[in-house]
Amino acid sequence: MRVTTDSSSPRRTQRHRLAAVALAAAVSLVAACGGGSGTTSSDGTETITVALTGLGPEGKATTDAIKAFERANPKIKVKVQVLSTDATQYQQQIQQRLIAGSGAPDVFKVDGIYAAAFAKSGWLLDLAKVKADTSKFLPTSLTAGEYDGKTYAVPWFVNTEGLFYRTDLVKTPPTTADELVTAAKEAMAMDPKLKYGLAFEGAKYEGVITAFMAMAGGFGGKLDPENLDTPENRQALAFMDDAIHKYKISPSAVTGWKEGEVQQAFSSGQAAFAINWPFVFSTTKGTPTEGKVGFVPFAGKGATLGAEMLALNAKSSHTTAAWKLIEYLTSTDVQVSRAIAAGNPPSVAAAYNDELFKEAPYFKEVEKVAKVAVQRPVSPAYPKVSDQLQTMLSSVVSDLTAPDKALSDAASKVRDAANG
Amino acid sequence: MASGVTVSPSGVTASHGGSRPPLRRARAAAADRRLGWLLLTPTLAILLAVTAFPFAYNLWNSVHQVNLTDPNGGGFTGLGNYRSLFADPVFRQTLLRTLVFTAVSVATQIVAGLVVALVLNRSFRGRGWVRAAVLVPWAVPTVVAATSWKTMLDPQTGFVNQLLSALHLPGADTNWLGGEWTAWVAIGITDAWKTVPFVAIILLAGLQVIPDELYEAARIDGAGAWHSFWHITLPLLKPALLVALIFRTLSALLVFDVVFILTGGGPGNTTETLSFINWREFLVSTDFGTGGAVSVVLVVLSLLVAAGYVRLFRTDEGATER
Repeated sequence: MRVTTDSSSPRRTQRHRLAAVALAAAVSLVAACGGGSGTTSSDGTETITVALTGLGPEGKATTDAIKAFERANPKIKVKVQVLSTDATQYQQQIQQRLIAGSGAPDVFKVDGIYAAAFAKSGWLLDLAKVKADTSKFLPTSLTAGEYDGKTYAVPWFVNTEGLFYRTDLVKTPPTTADELVTAAKEAMAMDPKLKYGLAFEGAKYEGVITAFMAMAGGFGGKLDPENLDTPENRQALAFMDDAIHKYKISPSAVTGWKEGEVQQAFSSGQAAFAINWPFVFSTTKGTPTEGKVGFVPFAGKGATLGAEMLALNAKSSHTTAAWKLIEYLTSTDVQVSRAIAAGNPPSVAAAYNDELFKEAPYFKEVEKVAKVAVQRPVSPAYPKVSDQLQTMLSSVVSDLTAPDKALSDAASKVRDAANG
Repeated sequence: MASGVTVSPSGVTASHGGSRPPLRRARAAAADRRLGWLLLTPTLAILLAVTAFPFAYNLWNSVHQVNLTDPNGGGFTGLGNYRSLFADPVFRQTLLRTLVFTAVSVATQIVAGLVVALVLNRSFRGRGWVRAAVLVPWAVPTVVAATSWKTMLDPQTGFVNQLLSALHLPGADTNWLGGEWTAWVAIGITDAWKTVPFVAIILLAGLQVIPDELYEAARIDGAGAWHSFWHITLPLLKPALLVALIFRTLSALLVFDVVFILTGGGPGNTTETLSFINWREFLVSTDFGTGGAVSVVLVVLSLLVAAGYVRLFRTDEGATER
């Protein structure tokens, strides 16, 4: 490995280097400015771009809805950019487009926990500018799209994390955490096929926070970044730790489980209880647990809300057409057919109607859980808050730190993260 | 390694020359040099665009307050980002942890790679096949390797624990990625599984250029195997060792993918590395100021390591060549 440089003409080299720097700067400038918004052709047809994600039934429900929208609005053409199905990657892909200052996509999906951060960055259009009527949406889910008193995103569909239980093993759903522990132990004694009492997401990722919030809600606690170290949150955190290490109703492996592993453990009949999202209902088809699934808030009152929001690009030049698409995607009929086809809980109150319940009765239970479900803190600094919380929860479930100490340590860090 | 390329644009003059008068020849040479540089411009521009520009941009970021969620805030902070970085105990711990991981993993990988290389350098039946087979882990993308290892290390369904239990060995119910030390062991094994073959192949190339006569002469002089390894193999292997050390140390300092897949930095933050913090500051917190500062720290560390190695090996290398 010999490093050799040409030293024959230093001044010349320097000059050329300068030229190359200028060239490089020019190239990156051009790249940054590329990618304009949609177009309007001479016959008045507008083309808007929408960035979405989704595989299988979800993806098909979206494509079908967009085709129907184009039929209903012949003057609008919709170009779909399909981005990653991994929530974190999707968020980074969208972020890159917005950082570059591109006018496309005009419409995009944004996770509720990032909406406020995007709004603060100036990337989202204030929906008052398209005279958005937001009264049809479920009020709890709408707050995720608000920042500084204005609405920047509306919910496309909501997601609610609550407690699944096996109706054949648990006669009445537990209303306290103690009852849950007893019921789990009884069920494990009753059914030899049961390996676990309670399955939950314990891996170091966003899911460990939503699982904890459901538990905290059950103890009457909540996730307030300004005031995290409360007696209720301490109890909830101790429960999370004890479920694994004291009551032994949860396996130590949950420290690596995400919602997929939790769902597998539950639908394959290995767990009596599971904290998870409504998609579990559709996965039990053809498994030993089909038709034996109940869904309630944790300990009677704990549930977490997740929302997929739709927003408009602040740089879009087709805001009216783009908002029309959002209105269409959140109309009652489209919401009902999406809920039936893809299992996504509607974000508009009117969609929880007889037509939906006839096709998919479990949405009655989902609706009940959705009513008590709590949003994660709405803050532009949420990504940083989330990071601190993930570290704290991960170190508790892995038995590295005692719950009380972890919570008091994390409280000040979370407060700093939320304010800085 | 762009720095290893030797370019001399004036080399084109070789095709000219001859009977021309000295003045014209000089002018022609100058024109050739100009043409040479002209031809090099695209390459230089690309190199600058993909290395110098990002580095300068990060340097700029690191002395400014740049957070995308705060488009109006910001401004020059001097060394503020660095100061708050080094004042943060989490960052200091991570720095130390990354250095320890680098030292331990590189040392074990070099030793293991050397052993494999020495074995592969002997002649035995099917050596070609074995040499090719050894390289397979290196050809597997890290993300795929890490995901496979994660599946194998699952406490309930993983192959590792089932093997331990079948052999009645202790630790069959270990939650590998759930404990700090076991998680580091898992990361170390996954990393080594992929990189030892790489080290072995580089060292094997170094071993093959050592002339057999030296060993024969040593044998005649009565040197044992250990003696000839210590006084012939190792000194002559130094150039190859240097290459392996630089490559391995730099990528161990920057380790990210294995950790990201296996543990996500957990349990707690016990397996986070500098690159992990870098990723988080840039892409999770969108704090380009702090992220830029972490990047610069990484670049400085890498340069120090590379310079240190080159210095350490240079004098000896010169001596053996002469």
